[in-house]
Amino acid sequence: MLLWHVLGTVAAIGQAFAAATVLTAAFAGSLLDARALAAFGVLAILRAVFSYLNERAAFAAGAAARRRLRSDALSRLLHAGPALLRVRHSGELATIVVDKIEALDGLFSRYLPAQIFAIAGPSIVLLAVLYADSWAALLLLGCGLLIPVGMAIAGIGAAAASRNQFLAMARLQARFLDRVRGIATIVLYGRTEDEAASLGRAAAELRVRTMRVLRVAFLSSVVLDLAAALAMVVLAIHYFGLLQQGHRADLIWPALAVLLLTPEFFAPLRTYSAAYQDRLHATGAAESLVALPPLPEPDPPRQIRNIEARGVSLAFDNVVLTWDATRGPALDGLSFRVSAGETLVLAGPSGSGKSSVIEILLGFVRPDSGKVTINAVDITDLVPQALSRLTAWIGQRPVLFSGSIRDNILFARPEATAAEVTAAAKAARLDGFTAGFPDGLDTVIGEGGYGLSGGQAQRVAIARAFLKNAPLLLLDEPTAHLDPATEQEVLDSLRRLAAGRTVILASHSSAATGLGGRRIDLRDGKAVSVRGVA
Amino acid sequence: MMSGPLFRIIGLWSRQTGWLLAGLWLSLAAVVAAVGLMSVAGMTVGAAVLAGGLAFPALLRGLGAARVVLRYSERLVTHDAMFRALADMRVWFFGRLARTSAGGLGFRQAGDVLARLVGDIEALDGLYLRILLPLASAVLLLPALILLLGHRVPGLATEVGVLFAAAAFVLPWLAARASGRTGTGLAVEAGALRVAALDALTGLREVRAFAAEGRMLAAVQAKEGALLTAQQAMVSRTALAGAASFLCAQLAVLAVLIDAADNPGAAIGAAFLVLAAFEAVGGLTRAGALAGHASAAAKRVLEAADAPVPVPDPADPAAMPAAANLSFEGVEFRWSPDRPLVFEGLTLEVPQGARVALLGPSGSGKSTLAALALKVVAPRSGQVRLGGADIATLPAALVRARIAWLGQATHLFDDTIRQNLLLALPDAGEPALWAALDAARIGDMVRALPDGLDTWVGEGGTRFSGGQGRRLALARALLSPAPILILDEPCAGLDSDTERAFLETLNETASGRTVILITHRLTGVERLDRIFRLSGGKAVAAAG
Repeated sequence: MLLWHVLGTVAAIGQAFAAATVLTAAFAGSLLDARALAAFGVLAILRAVFSYLNERAAFAAGAAARRRLRSDALSRLLHAGPALLRVRHSGELATIVVDKIEALDGLFSRYLPAQIFAIAGPSIVLLAVLYADSWAALLLLGCGLLIPVGMAIAGIGAAAASRNQFLAMARLQARFLDRVRGIATIVLYGRTEDEAASLGRAAAELRVRTMRVLRVAFLSSVVLDLAAALAMVVLAIHYFGLLQQGHRADLIWPALAVLLLTPEFFAPLRTYSAAYQDRLHATGAAESLVALPPLPEPDPPRQIRNIEARGVSLAFDNVVLTWDATRGPALDGLSFRVSAGETLVLAGPSGSGKSSVIEILLGFVRPDSGKVTINAVDITDLVPQALSRLTAWIGQRPVLFSGSIRDNILFARPEATAAEVTAAAKAARLDGFTAGFPDGLDTVIGEGGYGLSGGQAQRVAIARAFLKNAPLLLLDEPTAHLDPATEQEVLDSLRRLAAGRTVILASHSSAATGLGGRRIDLRDGKAVSVRGVA
Repeated sequence: MMSGPLFRIIGLWSRQTGWLLAGLWLSLAAVVAAVGLMSVAGMTVGAAVLAGGLAFPALLRGLGAARVVLRYSERLVTHDAMFRALADMRVWFFGRLARTSAGGLGFRQAGDVLARLVGDIEALDGLYLRILLPLASAVLLLPALILLLGHRVPGLATEVGVLFAAAAFVLPWLAARASGRTGTGLAVEAGALRVAALDALTGLREVRAFAAEGRMLAAVQAKEGALLTAQQAMVSRTALAGAASFLCAQLAVLAVLIDAADNPGAAIGAAFLVLAAFEAVGGLTRAGALAGHASAAAKRVLEAADAPVPVPDPADPAAMPAAANLSFEGVEFRWSPDRPLVFEGLTLEVPQGARVALLGPSGSGKSTLAALALKVVAPRSGQVRLGGADIATLPAALVRARIAWLGQATHLFDDTIRQNLLLALPDAGEPALWAALDAARIGDMVRALPDGLDTWVGEGGTRFSGGQGRRLALARALLSPAPILILDEPCAGLDSDTERAFLETLNETASGRTVILITHRLTGVERLDRIFRLSGGKAVAAAG
């Protein structure tokens, strides 16, 4: 990118020299200098090509940076895993991954190159001016140096101030978006006019504050304008004086060349000053990227533990887990055992630790102390892929991804055959409602597609579990949000899914009997009673 | 480059005409000073060479100073004017949206549609500064250029004029057309990327449980790749237009140089004049690309703003009844002509002060019932009565003042707890706020916060858990003096334990008011007088 800038500037210098040559020749009364004219034309074409290539290179630089940052950010989020959703909203995280990283584009494609070229560009032009007229070079250098000095004086705090202004602007936009999102709430409370007035007031206040800042911030570009105008005026008058006194023909060429080069000298500085906005755009975005959870150091290579499992037995041994120190432990020395093929119901009120047990078994979180074993292997020794292969999980509300119902079932095992998917859908009784859809299993769901009811979504989750065919089935209140009739149907499907597998069902007491099996009542992370056969 | 929608947007700024025109004149004057400075500098040297030619050192100094001063004041005035215009446009749009589609959109939870519209409004921010002002400069410069060059060499003036028109108008227009077309494609690709990212992040549990991290990352990267390809095509086209515009400028200078032999003194001035004039409009191809976007954005904004008012207020409203019993009589309703009837002869009576539950699976029209009562939509036939009066004869604002609504889409604003509550009752005193918070069983939590009522709730209430946020919204509904409280799936998105706790809270609050609880299932903890089940477009009394 810098290369195209440099080549473009060199070509511009060549053009200035060629134009000066043509005009000088005209004064000498000679014929047109065809060679200089041709050079001017060829250089013009080259400059056009350079600027085209430069824009493409700038885009490529921005695109490469975005690609890298987006992969990095998403990897960090995926690695941090489900625990993240306890503290952050997924919509907010998606904004970081998509929009904030898009906002960083200008930094890489415009600001950073402009910053480098703000020194390199004028220096190259200065060399050319030095060749034409050393006095003029000195003057330009003086004017050029005026800019950083002047900016330092005029712009004390201007950068900080314009950053504040930018933030204020961003805040106003956020406020506007927030009010528009909640517009139904405002309308239904009959507060439209008040809110419109207060939006107007906020915008007016922001304008007054912003203009106060801009009055100072624009002074730094006044310095740039002043230096450029000063150079032009002083040079023109200087050459006017010299030429008028002596009619020195040898001065015409340098005078014209220098005057033509003067705008080129200041152009990179203008570009840089214009790109400052891109930097401001990027700052806020960069801050939210830095705040993402870090990727851990890659684990040292260790022996990969896999379990060859037909049936799965598991045991919790004195397990302690604390999510939030102020609220006490979620699991407080919990111990139990489940043998292969058995169904265990975990019952208990909110905060009793049911979900924590499931999240440990899913590998979302590690116990603080105690030991969890699967087929006598410590769960922390298992590689995540091995753990994932062992387990199927159905939560309160399955997340369905955009795409077809088939895609959503395939999510459990992308390499499954069409016949396997059909079988899984049948086993989960999906055909009951997909038959009524225009494209059956290939019906697209989600935004812009068909919406599924809670019960239908839960059946897709059950089909996923059937397709995955894992020996350990983890169920976290799978019927909590279903109406009673649907609940019975879903429990029916779950019973068939549970056959021959080890099952752990976390449930509020009423639905807990649905699958039968042994039952443990949890209170405050401890088992208070055990019913059924061990 | 300008299209109908853009002209209408500009029309919205009429209140700021003075400022906008002042900015325009200053900006034109600044361009004249800049171009003048360059060409007079050239002429000065030319005059000196030709000895005896006119020279204008004083004019030169004046132009230099004017350029600096004008540029500074132009920037100040145009920015001020832009901020004023933008504020007007936002307030206007907010009002229009509230009047037309807001209720419906809010009910159907189209938050993303709204966010996209706000993005469109932001796309219009650059209209004045980055499109209109440079375009005005070009309009001024073209005749000036032709006049200044033409009085000497008409042929040259024609050549330069044509090239200038190509650089300033034709190429930007082409760029605008191209970007208007690809802009839609870009929006589609960007939308697909957003959906893929949201899928991966909303589904973090599924992703981890199925070890799908690699697949999700690859899916997002694939969408990103498609977006980048589309962007690159767009950049290439804009860059091509930019290069073509640059070549026009160079051809114009070449024409001046070729013409130099006849009158070298004047040619110097002309060369500088042409360079400066083209320089002043060099950014217009980019502005053209921007205008293509802005035009598409303006179209979408105006479409949303011009949507018909779903339920117009009666011209001659009846007097508001004193009683607050709510009844539906033979109501028939469908959301649009091509969709099936939601209600077919729905009849339902909710006496004042009753606690009623409306049950039914999703799609049975539970939320539609709330929309009908709130006059967000109107029945095709039949009546909704409040205190005996058909609400079609009452102004929507007064009907809504009798009904406090807490729904899935109830929004917590990115403001303080206090401001969020005051939305329901602007002149409520501090004791009333605390009473509402205590009734919603969240008073103690708020008291424990270091900033108390002045705690910021975060975007969409994100600083609080789902259950806490719903209680804050309940407190707001309770603060409203409305005699009827409609709770439309108030527990959507809460886990089952939090849901039960919330419903238990509700049992002991809102006493004396009519409570209508709309839900797909009962948990068994609700205290109710009557239960209705919606099915087949009718309400059937169910065992309490």
